[in-house]
Amino acid sequence: MLNKRRALSGALGLALAALIAGGPAAAQKAGGTLVQITQPEPPNLAPYISTSGPIGQVTAKVFDGLLEYDFDLKPQPSLAESFEVSADGKTITFKLRKNAKFHDGKPFTSADVQFTVMEVLKKNHPRGLSTFAEVTTVETPDPHTAIFKLQRPAPYLMTALSGYESPMLPKHIYGEGDIKTHPNANKPVGTGPFKFVEWRRGEFVRLDKNKDYWREGMPYLDRIVVRFIADSSTRTAALEKGEAHVAGFGAVPYNDVKKLAALPHLDVTTKGYEMISPIVELVLNTKLPPLDNQKVRQAISYAVDRKFMIDNVWFGFGKPAMAPISSNFAPTGYYIPGVDYTVADRIERANRLLDEAGFPKKADGFRFELIHDITPYGEEWQRAGEAVQQALAQVGIKATLRYEDVAKWLKRVYTDYDFAISSNFLYNLADPVLGVHRGFHSRLIRPGTVFVNGSRWSSPETDAFMDQATIETDQAKRGALYKNLIAKVTEASPVIYVLELTFPTIINTQFKNVITTPLGIYGNYATAYKE
Amino acid sequence: MRGAPLVRYILRRLLQVVPVVLGVVILNFLLLQLAPGDLATVLAGEAGGAPKEYIDQLRQRFGQDQPVVIQLFNYLRNLLTLDLGYSFRQSAPVLDLLLDRLWPTLLLMVTTLVLSLGIGLLMGLLAALWVRTWKDHAISVAAIIFYATPLFWVGLMLILVFSIYLDWFPTSGMEDVVAFYEGWDRVVDIAHHLVLPSITLSLFYLALYARLMRASMLEQRGLEYVTTARAKGLTERQITLRHVLRNALLPIVTIAGVQVGGLLGGSVIVESVFAWPGLGQLAYQSLFARDFNLLLGIFFMSACLVVVVNLIVDVIYVLLDPRIRIG
Repeated sequence: MLNKRRALSGALGLALAALIAGGPAAAQKAGGTLVQITQPEPPNLAPYISTSGPIGQVTAKVFDGLLEYDFDLKPQPSLAESFEVSADGKTITFKLRKNAKFHDGKPFTSADVQFTVMEVLKKNHPRGLSTFAEVTTVETPDPHTAIFKLQRPAPYLMTALSGYESPMLPKHIYGEGDIKTHPNANKPVGTGPFKFVEWRRGEFVRLDKNKDYWREGMPYLDRIVVRFIADSSTRTAALEKGEAHVAGFGAVPYNDVKKLAALPHLDVTTKGYEMISPIVELVLNTKLPPLDNQKVRQAISYAVDRKFMIDNVWFGFGKPAMAPISSNFAPTGYYIPGVDYTVADRIERANRLLDEAGFPKKADGFRFELIHDITPYGEEWQRAGEAVQQALAQVGIKATLRYEDVAKWLKRVYTDYDFAISSNFLYNLADPVLGVHRGFHSRLIRPGTVFVNGSRWSSPETDAFMDQATIETDQAKRGALYKNLIAKVTEASPVIYVLELTFPTIINTQFKNVITTPLGIYGNYATAYKE
Repeated sequence: MRGAPLVRYILRRLLQVVPVVLGVVILNFLLLQLAPGDLATVLAGEAGGAPKEYIDQLRQRFGQDQPVVIQLFNYLRNLLTLDLGYSFRQSAPVLDLLLDRLWPTLLLMVTTLVLSLGIGLLMGLLAALWVRTWKDHAISVAAIIFYATPLFWVGLMLILVFSIYLDWFPTSGMEDVVAFYEGWDRVVDIAHHLVLPSITLSLFYLALYARLMRASMLEQRGLEYVTTARAKGLTERQITLRHVLRNALLPIVTIAGVQVGGLLGGSVIVESVFAWPGLGQLAYQSLFARDFNLLLGIFFMSACLVVVVNLIVDVIYVLLDPRIRIG
């Protein structure tokens, strides 16, 4: 492992590479309006205090981050031209771009980086609280150098500096007044390729081209309009008719995707979710008998028919999950499949485990009953619940389904722990420290905090693996720690990892180069152009 | 009867509005307390999880760490100065959010009212004139079909036929977001976008008015004053238009007034199918987000709207039927 890492390839290099690869530069015409559908409408446009998904789909075009990432999750330059990590991993020096300006014309400097990280993200961002926990100060020796000083090494930090995750804010605007109720919460000002113009609630957000963008000649599009359409059939109709051009993240129902893909003017891709890596899972309440019994939990994991759910509930958009960490992390070495619950004789194994655990089948064919709570995120989750219900019935467990609204469900699972099995949907995010540890670390058994350790299972051994991996800067050593972690967690099975969900993104073929990063529609569309 | 007494009457009715609206606000406030989960949890949920400190911080900001009685008291006190509070989820004052949505809502409501009343009354009138002929049956069957078809289905079918296949109208939204027209072009563009949603919403109500109008006309025609009028030597046309129609309208006006509240509710579906930026959708979203400040604001505004419309209905009564006294 190198002590010094330097991001070498600049935007110019990328452009050259595109030229050499045969992409004719003349094809990238300037002009055109791209209409994106985002569902649901974002509550506000303040990505520095809320990580609600729809917000990022809009604001990632307005704010740049210090870095961007390629499809191997490797950092690429953005507002930081280059960076250097010290040998002990506790000092990170960013060299900032000199020609970057905010939309109001003021230059972007290291003071903005210091303000954004120390005053905003570290204190108010839901994930920033932990992402930047180790950062003690940001030093600004000159306007174009920002130095992060860390208490302990935090390798995951380097994956969380995109414009979506850690947007760089102008200090002279957001530094005035209370950041939590800031008047610019709905009028974002950044350095990004598109300027915020107008948000008509219930209708659209309009973003116009930033003519002074620091990337020479970009963006190509004149305008992006993000529309909000509450009804899924209408969203499909708008794409079909060409009134809207891009939609992702389940904005189009899975059963309509095939129909749209068949149309000549629409393309469907599943790229652009590599840094999000959603996993569909079942959380088991490990304090509630009989789920406190590891054999029962393993039996349920064997019983769940992952392939059936992928093919029939998610129309083929997914693959079986073999670990709490997504296979998207394979290039980094953090993904190693755990216990294989998809073996051919899984039903026999499940029945045997349940017999051994002391729950024989009774006269009515059932061993015991429980309630299965369903993630209240829409129709496919209900169908997934029905699939789980059927699978459990096969091994003699009678499950009743319960579907509530989001607020009630969150309280049930993460505050009251008043559940047996609940489906769930968690993002791995850009690094296991950010998205995976929360699922089963003992420190994250916290009533009232949502999307953390709801199963309430933990062990000192797995806690230790995670604590070491958090500060381990050597990728290979981290990989080894995660290998042990995955083996232990999948064996104990407090959470059943069902499938790695892939989302279809629908793109009108008139538009090219829209999805260019592992953040997909959380990208900035600087390179997108209309033919 | 006209003039000064009418003004006094309106003023007195407006005063009576105060306790009604106050009652609505307090009742809604207490009802909302019964919903499990709160805005802080929903916000944290939308964020994909957040530390406990963050959620506590949110609750404190929302004033949810206070007892319910104090929260209610604060809310009412602010209401007196027309301060409807701040929507923390939408990071904007509630009043601004409501006013933004008010005019699209009114546009859709008024168009629907005019369309459904106009066509509904005409259909009912014709059915009554042609009573027990095939034309009457045709109108009645059509009305029943409109009445029984779910709104969302009608909306989607209209999109499919008139937008996708025939390409006459846009699928959704209130204006063209690629062109962004200005001036008269914009008015035309908005009207173009208004056609499908207002037809969808009107179909349901016009069926109701048509049925009611037909029954009301037939009833009035059997009354003695019609015989008197006929004995006076008036033509059938004069009797129908000047006497029967005017009397038959009274129950329709009553129902139309009551339906305005329902129109707000029915438009949730139409608004979401056609992505129309009205109050209904806003109410729907804020309920699921437990954004109570915003929700209470919407209830407050709807209550005011319904009360005012009913006042207008009462005034129309007086104008239609001089026998009805204000007092």
